[in-house]
Amino acid sequence: MSAPAVVRAAITGVGWAVAGPGFDPVTELVGRGMRHKDRSSRFAVRAARRALDDAGLLGAPELAGAAVVVSSNFGNLDPVCDTVTTIATSGSTGISPMRLPQLSSAVSAAWIALDHGIRGPNLTLCNGVSSGLDAVAAARNLIAAGRATAALVVGVEPDSPPVARLHGETAGTRWLDGAVGLVVEPVRHAVDRGARIRAEIGGYGRAGDERSAVRAAGATAVRRRLGDEATARFGRCSGALGVVQCALAVERLDDEAVLAVAGAGTGESDGTSVSALVLAPPRGRDT
Amino acid sequence: MSWEIAGMSAICALGDTVADIHGALCSGRSGPAPLSAFDTSKYRAGAAYEVPDRVRPGVEEPLRATRWLVRVVREALVDAGLPEPEPGWPVLVGTTHRELRTAELWWRHDGVLSPADLHFASALRAAFGLYDVHTVASACAASLYGLGMATDLIALGAADTVVVAGTDSITESSFGGFDRIQFPPPDTIRAFDRSRRGMIMGEGAVAVVLRRGGTHPGRIHGRVRGVGMNCDASHPTAPDPAGIVRVIEEAHERASVAPDDIDLVIVHGSGTLQSDLAEAVALRDVFKAAEPGPLVTAVKGGMGHVSGGAGLLNVVVALAAIRTRTLPAISGLTDPIEEAQELRIVTGRPATGAFGTAQVHAVGMGGINAVAIVEGAAR
Repeated sequence: MSAPAVVRAAITGVGWAVAGPGFDPVTELVGRGMRHKDRSSRFAVRAARRALDDAGLLGAPELAGAAVVVSSNFGNLDPVCDTVTTIATSGSTGISPMRLPQLSSAVSAAWIALDHGIRGPNLTLCNGVSSGLDAVAAARNLIAAGRATAALVVGVEPDSPPVARLHGETAGTRWLDGAVGLVVEPVRHAVDRGARIRAEIGGYGRAGDERSAVRAAGATAVRRRLGDEATARFGRCSGALGVVQCALAVERLDDEAVLAVAGAGTGESDGTSVSALVLAPPRGRDT
Repeated sequence: MSWEIAGMSAICALGDTVADIHGALCSGRSGPAPLSAFDTSKYRAGAAYEVPDRVRPGVEEPLRATRWLVRVVREALVDAGLPEPEPGWPVLVGTTHRELRTAELWWRHDGVLSPADLHFASALRAAFGLYDVHTVASACAASLYGLGMATDLIALGAADTVVVAGTDSITESSFGGFDRIQFPPPDTIRAFDRSRRGMIMGEGAVAVVLRRGGTHPGRIHGRVRGVGMNCDASHPTAPDPAGIVRVIEEAHERASVAPDDIDLVIVHGSGTLQSDLAEAVALRDVFKAAEPGPLVTAVKGGMGHVSGGAGLLNVVVALAAIRTRTLPAISGLTDPIEEAQELRIVTGRPATGAFGTAQVHAVGMGGINAVAIVEGAAR
């Protein structure tokens, strides 16, 4: 699939919620509003807030018309597995009612919407390794289709006992424990409000193999390629991979376009599909 | 703009074709059956709307949601006269529970799990060569989200043909979670009834083949006029009538219809206290000036709550109702809530008539809503 870019869209904010110098999970994942949230949602709401802040949109009334797009494969695996353990030991009456929302794969996206009054489409994609890039493309489609004024895209994969077991059984040694957020909005809107355009979203393609995906993205001429950097840095990123790739690309974008590929190469692949997305330096307003 | 539904198929507790399911609903067949594979000593409720297809009764099987999905996609493609799809056709699969039932079995050391089992791309690629598979997990609005995204892909020129599906098998975790909060457990789903006590899970799958208007040479089942999708962003679990009103109005706007144009509504109707109330209040508001207003029904009393697939199951039932001029009644409804009394609720026997345009709801946990407007093939 390749979608013609009928609306130019840009990344105007990036937010990281991954353990490091700028984020301490021990202090960041507790406190007001966190108590009844699963780990995935805690990371996701932190990354979302940071991305909106970075874009200068925190508290902006226009968020009411925005969309939330979350990409995750293992987000609610822990609440689900933990609940069947509870049922086996003490029956359904042993389940905390607070667990119920956490059993939905869409719980993180719903919390983000609630946090900021985001009333547009609330989408959760669980497409496997290509999911993060697919989520960025889906965000652009929601904007192009007139469904959203902007979109908050969050890739999140929390560590947990079931996640660790699943990676361990499939030869994984390191994996992400965190979330990354991106603000996607129309270039025209970003220019009008004087926002800093971090990167323009270019061609996107998805296919059964890498070469076809790159061709579908119209990116065969893009020389600079974000390799397996995300995986090298964080371990397996799974559903967050494409979002992490975009965040890394934005940080080091100069005057040359960058191609992100998820689902192929020596990094991460589940053998089902490959997605490719081009991030281009800002071109200014010419539409 | 409109989009044609060229093929469709479905499976749930009531049957394994759209015609059978619609027929069962019209004959008033309903009622959950005793749980067949879970340890019933662990729950207060003892029944659900299961698909009775396990090889050995009482022995759980992995990957049932995937199996049903592959089956309904194949049948919908054949129904559309397109048994060999182009590999690049997008497939949007709406699901609440993905293959988390298989993950539960794996976690309890009763089976294996690979990361690719959790989404549906590997199975659909193996069966049909389809690789552009999206696993849309927007709670119980998921398959109508898939339908809305499919209309967008076609409108934006990214595809001419899209397969939209929904699939869900009952997970022990969610069955247990609802069992925890619903006491005494509901004996059946009684949408809009004063005596309703909650939701009972169902399972199954549904698929439609959606094509750009005017491109399908053969018979069609109907058209999608427009899909609205939004989020209440007001409460973690309780639906908000204001959010449902907004998504209905958005769907009407996208479909270029007015409230008077809607002949029938199939509500989400999960039978929970708050969700039914929110939908009834929203319908009363949206259709307050419509005369006489649409007929209103719900199907979950018959098939249970098929989670992410529920919205698209409502769509295929709506198209069958239009084609056969027979709209099933809400089962188990004898004493409507006050908020629903001004609505033209279908009770007792099916309603018959020449229906043209239907409105279909899906209301998901987290305030995630979608509404589709569809019309019959004759228009």
